[in-house]
Amino acid sequence: MAKSLLIISRQAPWSGPNAREALDIVLAGGAFDLPIGLLFLDDGVFQLAAKQDAKALQQKDLSANLQALPMFGVEELFVCADSAAERGLDPSAFSLEEALALTAHDITALIDRYDQVITL
Amino acid sequence: MSTLHVLSHSPFGDDRLTSCLRVIGANDALLLTGDAAYALQPGTAPFSALNTRGLNLFVLAEDIQARSIETPDWAKAIDYPAFVDLSIHYDKVNSWL
Amino acid sequence: MKFAIALFSAAHAPSSRRALLFAQAALAGGHEIVRLFFYQDGVYNASSSVVTPQDELDLPKQWRAFVSEHQLDGVVCIAAALRRGVLNEEEAGRYQRDAVAVGAPWELSGLGQLHDAVQDADRLICFGGA
Repeated sequence: MAKSLLIISRQAPWSGPNAREALDIVLAGGAFDLPIGLLFLDDGVFQLAAKQDAKALQQKDLSANLQALPMFGVEELFVCADSAAERGLDPSAFSLEEALALTAHDITALIDRYDQVITL
Repeated sequence: MSTLHVLSHSPFGDDRLTSCLRVIGANDALLLTGDAAYALQPGTAPFSALNTRGLNLFVLAEDIQARSIETPDWAKAIDYPAFVDLSIHYDKVNSWL
Repeated sequence: MKFAIALFSAAHAPSSRRALLFAQAALAGGHEIVRLFFYQDGVYNASSSVVTPQDELDLPKQWRAFVSEHQLDGVVCIAAALRRGVLNEEEAGRYQRDAVAVGAPWELSGLGQLHDAVQDADRLICFGGA
């Protein structure tokens, strides 16, 4: 049975290549049909904020890649409710509807569930 | 399942320690490396937070030594072979990059 | 135990030195390293263009020696490497760039190699950040 991998993405969308390179790990795993989960934590929740305009910064819009996740077989998508609340974001307005809002307690259990984890 | 969490950033002006403490589990351990060793600086909020939390707490010996910080009796300073052993003892390693 | 070690920070970052010391301790403890995978700024550890002052730790050189001596599988993520100008001969030719910054014992490959290592190993340990 394949080992499961949780990626915890903590960086805002355009704080360098972090958000994109975290997503690349997820998409690659999905492409190989591996059990991958993705949790947006801390500033990572900003990746899900609606109505972003990457072009204003001459940056790539990550939301297209995010929307592609289920197509790559990555359906285990999570967002930290506390991180969102602290940043004035409402999870119900997130660009990735499938992302399940979790409490800190849920996240402890989530990390436990996976065989490996990468937090970047 | 148990996780060894590893931190390497200074707790001052960085939220990794705070976030880690929110999600760290009862069976987990925390290893402070690099500038995260500053969390053991006495008289600071991180020091108090770690002291009262009662975690399985480790710090890389070279880092605490370089910074002339004393290892409190509720933490254990370890070398690299012990770091390897810890990574095996716990089911997985979560480095907060 | 089988370890997969992934490095995300550049050679001058303290975490990169820690990665090497951990890797050395793992082998000394009788464990196996299934793969070293360099991602994000970690690719700079494989650069042959890094010039370190004489009185400083030359980490790229130490990594090269370590991988060669123990015949380890040292993989550098090709996408991360291209973005950071760490090109091997083939890629430098493909993209018509002047400098070749990575060669043996390093291999440029994709993220599939990271996933493969994660599947093969008992433990994944990542180094990076600071």
